[in-house]
Order: sequence, then structure tokens, then C-alpha cells
Amino acid sequence: MKSSAIVLLAAMGSLTVQAQAETEPVQERPDKQAPLPSSPKMSDQTYLTPRSLSAIPEGAFGDKVRLGYQLFVNTQQLRDKYVGNELNCVNCHMDAGRKANASPLWGAYFAYPAYRKKDDKVSSFEERIQGCFNYSMNGKAPASGSPELVALSAYAYWLGMGGLMDEANISGPVPEISDAELVKGAKRDDFPVPEALAKAMTVEQRANLPGRGYPEIPKPEQAYSPERGKAVYVAHCQTCHGVDGQGQAIAGVYALPPLWGPQSYNWGAGMHRVNTAAFFIHENMPFGKSMQLTNQQAWDVAAYINSHERPQDPRNKGDVKQAQDKYHNDSDYYGVTVDGKVLGTDSYPVFPKKS
Amino acid sequence: MKIVRFIIGVAFFGAYINTTQAQSDTAPSLPPSGQLCISCHGAQGQGMEPLGPRLAGLSTEYLVKQISDFQAGHRLNATMQPMAMVLQGESVSQVAAYFSAQTVPVVTAELRGQHVTFTDTAARLAYQGDWARELPACVTCHGPSGLGGGLFPRLAGQQASYIKTQLQAWQAGTRKGDVDGMMASVANKLTIAEIDALANYFANLK
Repeated sequence: MKSSAIVLLAAMGSLTVQAQAETEPVQERPDKQAPLPSSPKMSDQTYLTPRSLSAIPEGAFGDKVRLGYQLFVNTQQLRDKYVGNELNCVNCHMDAGRKANASPLWGAYFAYPAYRKKDDKVSSFEERIQGCFNYSMNGKAPASGSPELVALSAYAYWLGMGGLMDEANISGPVPEISDAELVKGAKRDDFPVPEALAKAMTVEQRANLPGRGYPEIPKPEQAYSPERGKAVYVAHCQTCHGVDGQGQAIAGVYALPPLWGPQSYNWGAGMHRVNTAAFFIHENMPFGKSMQLTNQQAWDVAAYINSHERPQDPRNKGDVKQAQDKYHNDSDYYGVTVDGKVLGTDSYPVFPKKS
Repeated sequence: MKIVRFIIGVAFFGAYINTTQAQSDTAPSLPPSGQLCISCHGAQGQGMEPLGPRLAGLSTEYLVKQISDFQAGHRLNATMQPMAMVLQGESVSQVAAYFSAQTVPVVTAELRGQHVTFTDTAARLAYQGDWARELPACVTCHGPSGLGGGLFPRLAGQQASYIKTQLQAWQAGTRKGDVDGMMASVANKLTIAEIDALANYFANLK
């Protein structure tokens, strides 16, 4: 235990050095934080089960996986370095990215690199995570190949590969692969997998694991309405997320996250879209699923939450209308007038310092 | 030796004066109707096991809600229900503020991720839950180390016997008042062994 703690500290030390040397601005591109299409939920569906965290091996590779887990559940350790709000990855990816239908890391890892028609560009897994930092975390993404992106990729890979090996009855530890391989993601013919797994499943099958993303729900019977959504929010959400949507901190930790305002995800995050939020909420809220919202309630409350001001879309070059036309009008409220104000015109700063 | 004792005595006395002065300046006082509470909960709300749980350090918001839950019959307890009826009007918030302001031992918050794996089942449930059963981590709502805040009670340092009876009360339906049955849903998934383990875990957090 002690030795692994020392290794971790040493790793942290090198992170700091890396960050100071890193001055290159993050490349901007028209990333829409597009969700991965999910497969329809079926009642008898079984899902990939990642191995227990206690199975993470000792050694340098295991340390990367462990660091990935630690960054995922306590992303605030990167506050002011790469993170500009009070969120942690685990807020939207339940069970530390392990849970099916809560956009599990294992589902995403095997779905990247992904070609995006809209951008005519192939995004690697680390580029997708960079998007999370730039938008969901309202921060500044770590550089390609940085220890943080390697660690998060290693954690995602380890979760997915271990689960797939177990399904294919392949015993033994998850094969260690290089950092360069890790950050690319697994949806490619040259991705190294055990031979038995390559025979058992095609790349395409591995890229479409059941439980990936947030399961879609049918369109609402009535057009979604923030007004009705407010009543849903008051009844089912505000005990944890606060009357004002600003979450609740205990001992400085927002385990109950802010949903709008300066400390939440920005206007470029996938979750700002009403459909994405509705899918997430219907499947994963109220936390621990003590009751089930109707489809209509999920759409309405998603509309209520996402029709509040939040941090600016980092792709906005100074003109809300222009940014709206280029990146929005997509089941979302950016540039839309709510209560007499155009959302996006009074947005909060991108990547503000906490202290 | 005697001198040393004297110095220690003076130091403690000085500290005592300081804290009592500091409290009398800022701390709320207990209204007359609240005098009843201290026979079971202690003068500083430190709790008297097994008569009454610790109230010190619980949030005002939580305490007010509990008194109202006893009054409304959401919490069934032969002793506390009539006691709660004694408190009416603004004395409810005064009593709550008084006990909330009482000091409790400092517990160092353990953040998520400080441990990746746990040998202790209770610690694992507290920090990682068991999602195969849709059981979230306790610390998600109760905060790091169960320090509590708002409507979520502090668990750190609470009596183990009390935490246990409450989890059982949630299971039995004799304690209600949670939104959407969230706490009942969690409690109902716990085994009796897990309840025992969790009660001891939180009670003994330092």
C-alpha cells in the first residue's frame, strides 16, 4: 500500500511538471459533443460487467488505471488546472463509469475512434475526453498524451477489456498496452486484443455494446415545457440539487452537483441538449431509482434545467446568433428567449479560476 | 509535577472561558420549551445512548424537518412524538439552532478516490455503493465521511445503535418523510449484517 502511495505521489509530481510545461492552446474544433447512439433497452438484456477494482494489477500499468479511477470520482483535484466548475465525471457516469445505460466508460472506449460525418473527422478516445473537459467540466482540456488522458483512457480500457474477456471466458489479467495505443481507443482493426476475443467478437460488435450511452426514450406526447418541468423539479429534484439548482456542497465537495449557473456544465456540453438530459434523467434519476419519472416528466424537467443560463459556449466568438446558427438549434435553448432574455447573452465565464 | 498540573489546569480553564465566551456571543440559546430535550439528548446535545441520539452538529434544516416529521407521524416513536408536540411556533427553529450550533469532534473528511479498494465492506458501501443492487454510495448524499448537511444528517460520530434502529425503521416504514422514498429504497436493499457494519463504521469515524 505504502509503495503504491509513493508511486502515486511520484506520478502526481510529474503531472505538475507536465502542466507547467504545457502552454500550447487547446485546438478548437466544431465538436458537438455528439452522444453515442444507444441500443434500445430490452428487458432480458445482460450487460458487460467490469471486473472489481480490487483486480487492478500492481505495477505501472495498474497505477495508471487507478489514477484514472481517482480522477474520475474526484475530478476536482484538477480544479483550476483543467476543470472550471464544481462537477466530477462521476456525476453523469454512475458507479464511476461502470454502470450500463449511464454512458459507461467501457461502452465509449470500444466505440472510439469514431468518424463524425458532420466534421468529416475521426475523433480518438482522448479527443472525446478532451471535449468533456472543455465543455462538461467548463475547463481547458489536458494536452494529448498527458498523464491525465492516459490515466482516464487506461481506466476505460481496463473496465471494458476485463469485462469482454470475462464474457469470452478468457482468464488472466487485462493485457497491458502502450500509452499511445491507450489514448486512441479500441474501435480499429489494429487494436491489440487477445486472439480468442478477436474471434468471439468483431470490432463493430465491440463498438456497439448494449448499455452504451443513455437509452433513448420516445418523444414526449406534448412538446416539452420548462413550466411543467419546474413542477417536476420542485417535487423530485430540488431536495438534492437545491431550490436554485446550485447543488449542495458538504465539506467542500459537490457530490450533489449544480445543474445550471456558473458552476455547472457549459453551453457546449452534450448535457445542455434537452434530449440528452431527458435520456439521462429518465434512466438515472432520482438517484438510486426510488421512483420512475414518466417520459413526459423527464423531457419537461430536462427542458426546465436546460433553459437556465450557464457558462458560455467556448466556441462563441462574440455573437450568440452566429454561435447558435453554427452549433445549436439542436433540441436546446442556446440563443432562445426565455423570460424575456436571450440565453447565451448573459452567460457565465468559461474556465474561471476558483480562487 | 504540581506546577505542570497547575499550568495544564490554567490552560484548560482559559480554553474553557474562551469557548464559553465565544459561544455566549454568537451561539443561540435554548428556549424554555427545549429544556425537555436535554434529559435524553444531553445539555449540549451530545446524546445519551440509548436514550437519545446526538443532536449536536446536525443541521438546523434537518432538525426542524425531524420535529415536524414526528409531529406529522412520518416518524413513529412513542417517546419522541409527544415530546415533539411540546415544541410549537418559533421554539422549533430555536431548539434546532441551539443543538445545531453545539460543537462535535472534528472528523477529517475522506474524499472519494482516496481509496480505490476497500477491505472493509461498510467503507466500500459508504464510498462506492453496490450498483448491482442500484445501491448508491452513502457519501453521495451524506457527504464525505458522512459529515452531513442540509436535509442529509451527519452520520460521522452518531451512535451506532441509533443508526441501526433508524435504518431498520426505514425498512419497517416507521420512518418516512424522504422525497420519493429515496432513503427507504436504500435501506430496503441493505442486509442486517450490512446495517450493523455501516452503523459501526460511521459511529467510529475519527
